[in-house]
Amino acid sequence: MAARSETLTARDAVARRLRAGGTDWRSWLLEGALLLSLLVALGILFVLVGDVLIKAFPLLAERPLDFLTSTVSARAERAGIIQAIIGSITITLIVAVLAIPIGVGAAIYLEEYARDTRLARFIRTNIRNLAGVPAIVYGLLGLAVFSTALGLGSVLLAGGLTLAVLVLPIVVITTSEALTAVPDAIREAAFGVGATRWETIRSHVLPYAAPGIFTGTILSLGRAFGETAPLLMVGAIAGTFSFVGAPWEQLGEGYTTLPTIVYHWAGYPQAEFRALGAAAIVVLLGVILLVNATAIVLRNRYDRKW
Amino acid sequence: MIGTLVLSGCVTTPRASGAGQGGTVIASGSSTVEPITSLVAEDFAAITDGFDYQVDGPGTGDGFALFCDGATDISDASRPIKEEEAAACEENGINYVELKIAVDGISVITSTANDAVDCLSFLDLYALLGPESQGLDNWSAADDLAGELAAELGDEYGAAHTPYPDAALEVTAPGEESGTYDSFIELVIEDIADTRGEDAVARADYTASADDNVIVEGISGSGTSLGWVGFAFYDENSDVLRSIEVDGGDGCVAPTAETIASNEYPIARDLFIYVNTDRAADNQALADFIDYYLSDEGIALVEEADYVSLTPEALEETRAVWEGR
Repeated sequence: MAARSETLTARDAVARRLRAGGTDWRSWLLEGALLLSLLVALGILFVLVGDVLIKAFPLLAERPLDFLTSTVSARAERAGIIQAIIGSITITLIVAVLAIPIGVGAAIYLEEYARDTRLARFIRTNIRNLAGVPAIVYGLLGLAVFSTALGLGSVLLAGGLTLAVLVLPIVVITTSEALTAVPDAIREAAFGVGATRWETIRSHVLPYAAPGIFTGTILSLGRAFGETAPLLMVGAIAGTFSFVGAPWEQLGEGYTTLPTIVYHWAGYPQAEFRALGAAAIVVLLGVILLVNATAIVLRNRYDRKW
Repeated sequence: MIGTLVLSGCVTTPRASGAGQGGTVIASGSSTVEPITSLVAEDFAAITDGFDYQVDGPGTGDGFALFCDGATDISDASRPIKEEEAAACEENGINYVELKIAVDGISVITSTANDAVDCLSFLDLYALLGPESQGLDNWSAADDLAGELAAELGDEYGAAHTPYPDAALEVTAPGEESGTYDSFIELVIEDIADTRGEDAVARADYTASADDNVIVEGISGSGTSLGWVGFAFYDENSDVLRSIEVDGGDGCVAPTAETIASNEYPIARDLFIYVNTDRAADNQALADFIDYYLSDEGIALVEEADYVSLTPEALEETRAVWEGR
């Protein structure tokens, strides 16, 4: 109790000091510079999004459903993105099913079970390095391992596996960070009342780390959703094709994704394709916004204070 | 494993045989030709039950790598097959025919704001864009080089249109990885460079892009720009771009569909599809598809994709090659 009232007093003192220092020109300068940074960042974002929305609006207003449900086509007036939507969603599901359990599992082992040896530190450092490897390198890896060595060919499953490998280090790192943020006192308290290591992790560490793990993994899915370069290496079609099917039928077939389609349409000479590309970007942004909103909702729902 | 079975199943065995029946056709290759093949495939699919297709456009070179590996039935190409690519096909036992399907002009372009230059000969283009133009950042700085070339080579490659305007020379053009770059070098620069004992390349100090729409932006954004793009990209953007007439030794010619088709316009390249003939013998859908591609209906789609149609004689020749496969 005594400690608490002391902190309050200190906080009051700081507040008083801040109110008194209102004419400090250095503070004004700093505040101005920071505000400017914010405005520049927001300005760029508004210009980009505004430009895309303006280009996309006529098309989305004219045939919103038709655009979402038509197949890719070399004729602008009937081109749509249904195959790209199915492709992107299926690939993201493959990534979720593979990368999340493996990544979270690896992080729990690294943080909770592994001793802090030279080897463990070496592995940790390398996982961090892996997260910084350019995406195209994972594309080459996917081409060599999944498409060629495993003989999958240029099919959706190969794309999904490649992106799962791509986001794996990100999942491990974000989960590790969420786990290390849980105070040791929580673990010690659990051990103190006789809990086993498993019980401690399941009932104490994981619930507290959950918001961080959710945020990290969902953001990594957003990353997978937006990747283009590695998929072009493992056969995403920057062109047209006739196949439309349910996600499980798509696994062994040629495929495309939303960002691949945007890239493809940007290369056409006709201006109508730029409108199509902009409309596909709007859909892509919408989905990513939805994914990020889900991350925030989950984080708030499981957020705990100690 | 699923992939191998499904994919190889698609490629090698037709799902049904007989004229007008279903089946699968896989095409890859040049992104320039991709829209034509896509249009033909879409229209053919509309009149054929159970016809599945896949048309990708990673580039002519990548396309031939897949084609000679047996992964595709058709390879779209914006240049003829290279010797080493043909050798790879032969090694893998891939037999094919080369079918010329359209012509694409390469437009030399500047901004609509530039009215100082109307016509350039191959000689001018070499002086302004060739390997020896490296470092020249003003049009007029190339005057001496053009004069020297004119003295050495005469009118063989067209007259030099000196003096050039005294204005900044801002070059935006396709990068080395692009087929449009290769074609420009081969058609315009190579002969003069050989005579001069230089490498057949463009100057290295220009703004390069693989995306033609980026080049259009760059050219239209500067009043004294110079560059080149495929005819379709000029044609679609003629409100912001001005094409410069080209003199290949027989006078100045502007790029239009007519002058490109008649070979009057000197910088034009042929567009091809290569078809695996063994596959065409096994897979009726592939044979029917190519029949449709070369029919009056199919080949008319070349113009819908903004390329230039073959002359009737050239089309007859292509049909004869296909029939005689």
